Amino acid sequence: MYTTYDIFDDILGLRNEIGRFFREVPVRTRSLDLPYTNVYERGDEIEIHALTPGVKVGDLNLELIDNSLILEGEKKSDYSDKPYIRKERSFGRFKKSIRLPFRVDPDKVRATVKNGILVVTLVKSEDAKPKKIEIK
Amino acid sequence: MAAEIKNTQRRLDDRERHVLVPPVDIYDAGEEYVLKAEMPGVEKQDLEITMNNNELEINAAVHGDDGADSALSYGEFRLFSYHRKFVVDDSVNSSAITAVLENGVLTLTLPKSEKVKPRKIEVMAG
Repeated sequence: MYTTYDIFDDILGLRNEIGRFFREVPVRTRSLDLPYTNVYERGDEIEIHALTPGVKVGDLNLELIDNSLILEGEKKSDYSDKPYIRKERSFGRFKKSIRLPFRVDPDKVRATVKNGILVVTLVKSEDAKPKKIEIK
Repeated sequence: MAAEIKNTQRRLDDRERHVLVPPVDIYDAGEEYVLKAEMPGVEKQDLEITMNNNELEINAAVHGDDGADSALSYGEFRLFSYHRKFVVDDSVNSSAITAVLENGVLTLTLPKSEKVKPRKIEVMAG
């Protein structure tokens, strides 16, 4: 039986691997306690997912400045004065700025929180879209 | 050579399908133990909590945030599944454990069995 082996498959696979290494910041090397975010780009739409477990919706603040989205908030401590056997979670204020690839329409921003994940959907603004110029 | 490359690639793929260990707080509230675990992205139906032979096991799967979406342009996290296991002693009444999942935080209440609950001792007049 023949198996077709193409060295270029592996070379491209390796290239993807190296590309991913630079694109994704490994979680374990981060020392700052900021909510981890993933940014998805779908044509004229950007979707941002941020991990905010235990943060109440009222303690989250989103701001749009120029072409950056500022995610600010506070994860309030739910510690009680009882004796602790294990303490691994962390609390406190956080502020993170996410640079957007294009200007967005401030009126079309939608944000929801589901199962501790904040999802922000942003749409490209009309003046950032390419415009055809008529030559007279 | 070809097989070697394929094997390396498979190992890299496996490494990425990692299991996350959720950070956990446990405290003793007198009548019960309270356990809080941070597991963002978990739906109620994908969460499995089992108590078997004094071993409390938490397993959960996450769908839709594994970073496999080709539209991902910048990524800091990949969620596949969560796992955590604790050894619990006989002081816990395993049939009365309750679990609440709220805003990505799982709260487990493990009531102590009657014989180990704190008890006030009445002092009798002599």
